[in-house]
Order: sequence, then C-alpha cells, then structure tokens
Amino acid sequence: MTGQTAALAETMPEPKTAFAERRGAGWLIPLAVLLAWELCGQFGMLPRYIVAPSRIGATWWGMLVSGELTGHAASSLFRQSLGLLIGASCGTIVGVLAGVFAPISRFYEPLVSLIYPVPKVAILPLIFVWFGLGDLSKIVVMTISIFFPTYIAAYHGAKSVQKIHIWTALNAGATRARLIRQVVIPSALPDIFNGWRIGLALSFVLMVTTELVVSTKGLGYVIARAEENLRFDRMYAAILTIAILGFCADRLLLKLRGYLLVGQLMSKDSGHG
Amino acid sequence: MTESAQVQPKTSAGAEAPQTAREPLLRVDSLVKTFVRKGVRVTALDGFNLTVDEGEFVAIVGPSGCGKSTFLHMLGGFESVDGGTMTLNGRRVAGPGPDRGMLFQEYALYPWRTVLGNVLWPLEVQNIPPAQRNTTAERLLTLVGLTHFRNHYPNELSGGMKQRVALARLLALNPQILLMDEPFGALDAQNRELLQEELERIWNTSRKTVLFVTHDIDESIYLADRVIVFTARPGRIKADIRIDLPRPRAMEIKKSAQYIEYRNRIWDLLREEVLRARSEHAP
Amino acid sequence: MADAAADFRDERPSLPGVWLQRVWRLYPIAVVLAAWEIIAHSGFISPLLLPPIEKVAHEFWQMTASGDMAFHGAITLQRALIGFSAAIIVGIILGTALARNRIVNRVLEPIFIFGYPIPKISLYPIFIFVFGFGDMSKIVLVFLECLYPITIQTMHGMRSAERVLVWTAQNAGASGMRLFWRVLVPSAAPAIFAGIRIALPISMIVTIITELIGESRGLGYVVAFASASFEPARAMAAFAAIAMIGFFFDRSLSWLRKKALYWQADAPAFS
Repeated sequence: MTGQTAALAETMPEPKTAFAERRGAGWLIPLAVLLAWELCGQFGMLPRYIVAPSRIGATWWGMLVSGELTGHAASSLFRQSLGLLIGASCGTIVGVLAGVFAPISRFYEPLVSLIYPVPKVAILPLIFVWFGLGDLSKIVVMTISIFFPTYIAAYHGAKSVQKIHIWTALNAGATRARLIRQVVIPSALPDIFNGWRIGLALSFVLMVTTELVVSTKGLGYVIARAEENLRFDRMYAAILTIAILGFCADRLLLKLRGYLLVGQLMSKDSGHG
Repeated sequence: MTESAQVQPKTSAGAEAPQTAREPLLRVDSLVKTFVRKGVRVTALDGFNLTVDEGEFVAIVGPSGCGKSTFLHMLGGFESVDGGTMTLNGRRVAGPGPDRGMLFQEYALYPWRTVLGNVLWPLEVQNIPPAQRNTTAERLLTLVGLTHFRNHYPNELSGGMKQRVALARLLALNPQILLMDEPFGALDAQNRELLQEELERIWNTSRKTVLFVTHDIDESIYLADRVIVFTARPGRIKADIRIDLPRPRAMEIKKSAQYIEYRNRIWDLLREEVLRARSEHAP
Repeated sequence: MADAAADFRDERPSLPGVWLQRVWRLYPIAVVLAAWEIIAHSGFISPLLLPPIEKVAHEFWQMTASGDMAFHGAITLQRALIGFSAAIIVGIILGTALARNRIVNRVLEPIFIFGYPIPKISLYPIFIFVFGFGDMSKIVLVFLECLYPITIQTMHGMRSAERVLVWTAQNAGASGMRLFWRVLVPSAAPAIFAGIRIALPISMIVTIITELIGESRGLGYVVAFASASFEPARAMAAFAAIAMIGFFFDRSLSWLRKKALYWQADAPAFS
C-alpha cells in the first residue's frame, strides 16, 4: 500500500523531465494539431459537442471579464482548499505520529488497510443525508478521502527515517520533541509532499464530482447547467478553468517542494570530485 | 624492534604495567552481547574487557562480523547490553549521550541542512549561544578545509568531503571520546589516504581520545597509538599492540621498516582469525 | 532519552500463537464497530440517520437473497472491468509507442502531461451527451481515467529498461519482437503493474461516481437512491458491497503481483 502512494506520486509528471529536452521544433506538432482543430471548427466540420478553440477562448474571456467565472471558481476553490487543508493536515499529523509512536500505528494500521482500498466517494449520498446539501458535506467527503493517502505517505516517511539519522540526534543529546521536529519531519518531508500532491489531485476530482451531484454554485455547477442548455462552449470554458487551476495548484506545490527540499532533491552522484 | 609491540594473552587485556596511578578514561568490563539471527542465538561478545586512557588513539581491527562495530554501537548507547559494564570517566554508560560522539561510515549528515547547518546542529542541541555557535562552526570548517562549501548541501559533496563535514560536526559536539565506525570504509583508495592524513593532522592538534574501528590494517597502524586485534566471533582481544611511531606521521612512514614489521605482525594475527572463522563456518 | 531508540523499533505484544496475535491486532476495528453500535442504540442520533449494525446486516442479507445485490453489483463490476481492461490494452500500446517512437511522443506527450491534473470527470456531461446515459458513457470515462496511469507508467518502464540488458540481448542476436517480448516487457513489467495497481481502484471510484450522478442501475445508484429515500440501512448495505469489491480488488492485485513479478520482492505493506 505504501508502494502504491509512491507509485502514484511517481506517475504524476515532473515538469523538468518532460519538457527540458523539448525545444522549439518539439512544439510544432502539438501546435499543428491545435491549428487543424481550429480550421475544422471554422469550416463547420466538427460535431456539435466539440467546440473550436477560438470559441472556447472567447466564451472563457467573456465569462472571466463579467466576473461570472471568478465567482464560481472562488466558490469551488473555497471548498476544495478547505477539504484539502483539513484532510491532508490530519493525515500528515496522524501519519507522522503513527510513524514515531508504535501504539498509534497499531491502532490505525488495521483501519487504514481496511478502508484505504474502499471507494469512499460512494458514501457521498449518506453524507448529504447527515450533513445537508451545503458546503459542509462536500468538505467532509474531501477530508475523508484525502486523509488516507496523506496518512499513508506521512507514516511511510516517518517510519523510514534512517536509523543513523536518529542515532546522530540521540548522540547529540536531542530531546524527543527536537528529534521529531528537526529529524523525523524533515526526513519524511519528501514523502509528505507526495501525499499532498495526491491529495491535491483528489481534491479537484472531488470538487467537480460533488458539484456535479448537487450544487448551486461552482465550476461543476456551470458544467451541469451548460449541459442542460447544450451550451458546450460554456462547458469547455469551465473545464478549461478547472484545468488551469488544477495545473497551477500542482505546479505551485512542486515549487514549494523544490524550495523546501533543496538539499534532499539534489541527486547524490552530482558531487564534486 | 619487537619489544615495543607486546602481544598479550586474551584474558589480561588492558593490564598494562606502566600506567598505574591514573584511572583510565574508559573501562569495559566483561561485556556480553548476544542476538538472535534466523532463530539461532549468536554470541557477538563474550566477556570482553578493555581500558582506554585519556588522549589515546585506539584502533580496533578484526575479521568481519567479529563484533567490533557492535561494541562501538553499544558504547554509543544505541544497542542494548546483555552483560558487563562500561564506565566512561567514572560514570556508567547507559543510553546515547553527548559525551561519546559517533562517526559513521555512512556520514549520517542531514541532507536538508547545509554544510554549515550540519556543523551548527549539535551546538544548537546543546543550547550554545548563537554568536559562539557560529565562531565554533567556522573554526571547525576551517580545520577540515571546507569553509568555501559552507552553503552547499551534503548531496552536492563527494564522499570524502561529506566525511569531513561529519568530522567537523563530531568535533562541534566536543565529546570526551570519539567513536569512529569504519569512517573511511566507503571511500576510494585515494580519498581514504587523504582523509587519514587529515585525521592524523587534526588529531595532533586536539589529542582527543579516539576509538577507531576499521578492517584496514594500514589505516590502523598509521593512525593509532594502540591497535587491538579482535578474535573471530565471539569477539575477544587477541592482541593489544602499542604502535611506537613518532608523530606527526607522514605517509612516508608506511615505508619504514618498523611500520612494515607492525604490518606483518598484525596481518599474521588477523589471518589466523579469518582462517579460523572460515573453518568454523564450514560444515 | 535512553529508551528513545527502542521506541523507534516496532515491538509487538508477545501473545502465544501467531493467529491469536493476528486477531488481536484487529482490535481497532472492533473498537470502531462497538462505538457505532453504542451510538446507534443510545438514541442520540435518529435511526433514520444511523441504523445499528444488525439492521444493516439484515438489509444486506435481504438484498442478497432477493438478487438485488447480484444484479446491481454485476452492472457496476461490468462497467468498471470493461473500462479497466480496455485501458490496460490501449495504455500498454500507447505507453510503449510514447517511449519508443519519436513522432507519437511529440504528438501525444503534451496531452498526457497537461491532461494529467485535469479531473477527467468534468468531461462526463459531454460523454453523456455523446453516448447517452447508459453503460457506454460510464465505460468511456472509466477507460479514460484508467488510461493515464497505465500509459505513463508503461512509458516510464519502457524508457528505463536498463540499457545494459538491451545491449546484452542485442549482443546475443535478439531484435524486433523478440527483444520486445523477452527484454522490454519483462523489465517494464513492474512499472506497468504499478500503473495497473493505481488504475484498478480508480475504475471502481469512477464507476460509482457516474452512478451517483445519473443512473437507475448499479451499486452507486442504490446508495444514492436509498439515501435520498431515507433508507440508510439499505444505502449502507450497498456501500458495504462496494467496499467489499474494493477490498477484494486490492487483495487480488497483491496476490497477482506476487505471482507475476516473482523476481521482485514486494515489501509487505505495513510490515
């Protein structure tokens, strides 16, 4: 299971590896595809449910300028960020503690291995019954779902602190609190970031899902309404917004990771001779 | 030429005649260590005795798996003791503590801290005031020749440089005894020699008590005042050899007749043990 | 501070018998179930919101006996597995092409890189328009969601096939299909398997989500409909069935991994 979160984080593309070698001409083919798409749209060769890029762009810009988009995006992001912050914080804190204190991990281990493989989103309708149709239910679902991958990542990170790192700290006479703060947490931080990255992706999926099921505001609501009115351009504009937000949030998290983990992300064989 | 290198019987380790008045810094009495490996109980140390005087550089050599590293880890307080006592400066050793500083083969530097941050770390733990912290750390970085790398991260450094950072960090802790567990074991031959020279130079300036575990005979003779040869498991002292080579020692000393005499002597002792260990493991 | 090092070692209670130990380790599950039972019977929370366990169990039994569970379960499973299987086939082909063909790589890589953070679920309304409310729109979405991890992992695996292994094989005269099947596939297998392992739970999650949004069949629909009609015991029984499928998927994959990738030691989860 720990291997699964690691693999999941690995699957998420790293900006450097994917684009460092892509120079100039490398962008030609994707650009050509985009151009062909646009031309087909201009000549009316596209089915109704595929909209030309220029029209998506125009609708998107119009919705942005009118403030419609920002209002819905703010509503969506409010729930998404709260769900992510609560779920991932709980998962990380409990995970680190479980990694350090064996009785805590003994309590959570069977529960997590039982619940982790379960599609927890299926409980959404019951959550709506318990907590109403408003924001609270949506945040609760996100919190529950995000708790597990962040817990597993943090637990794994705290558990796999190198023995000699702990020994070095004890050798210097470090207290338990200092050991956790200055050795266990920094050393688990790469894993913790993996967990948060998975949690972030999950929060966006759940943001859209919960809004497609029930909502009165938000980007998912825009999509659902647009479908009823067959306004595919509006639908794509909302999807584009979600994509931009998801992409930027992911890159922001990676930037933060790069900043906080400078020393740890350096490859070990790039040393001076 | 052999009178200086006295081979002692296994049982009377540490009973050296000349030093009578001074109490040794470290006294190890009938130390026992057993552990279970694959369901079989193995005795790593069985009634092991050792004394080390203040300011002595003692090297321990022995066949691999003889328990020399285990002994160092026990003295560091990281491994449990199954019998016997260890006394440092009159106080019984129990658990890890800053009076015994440890240097590991794997450097054990914190990759999330810079070179300077790593050296500062033990000073922070000891609650030394910041101004004093910085002077000490800078002095130690100068000592190991890494002032220009103070803002680098460990993963940017070569193995030899990492071990020099670890040495600076160890000296920052300022323990009563330095425990070195095959510190140069992971380095290539050239770096290893450089580090040996460096350690010898640094040691001459401070004359700290050192317990140095290695499997490299040359290293042990070049660095130590005393070389202790371990028997194969269970580890006991097979020989305790005083190295009377003048200090400071240059690398050229390895070509001297006296050095070669020591080398051959230890080599033969060790060879016996390796062969014995192998014949015992054979069916 | 003396025992601090010992605290980091995982020491289990020494009860007699391995089985007794294993059962004892499950005590937290009993704690949670007991808490549920006590709260449900205490009267603090209406049984319309939280039914006691025995009621859920009874409902589960009734739904199983009436064939409801099998009917809806089969529909959910079918959707998840068809989309998942299609994603495996297409994902491995695409991943291999991405890793070994420059042009394919140039065209498709941006889609996979930029498309990754987009929740594909937001395309579901479009799929409904194109494929209708039935099975097809759901299967297509499951396929699309599962395709990403499998393709990307296959690509990584095929790219990182150790050059030495490839050279050794070429040196021995292997080429073309032989090189592909004998060297590239086995050396990429762990990565491909990692992708499949990520995709399998996703297939279930996405199927359930689509059934929550708009459908009249499937376990997700049962949970949604029963909740909306204030029959929480029925909703929970259906949720239990979903949970069992998820759990079963997870276990069978671990088992399969041990069989298929025997040369790769799998670190036991939560050892």
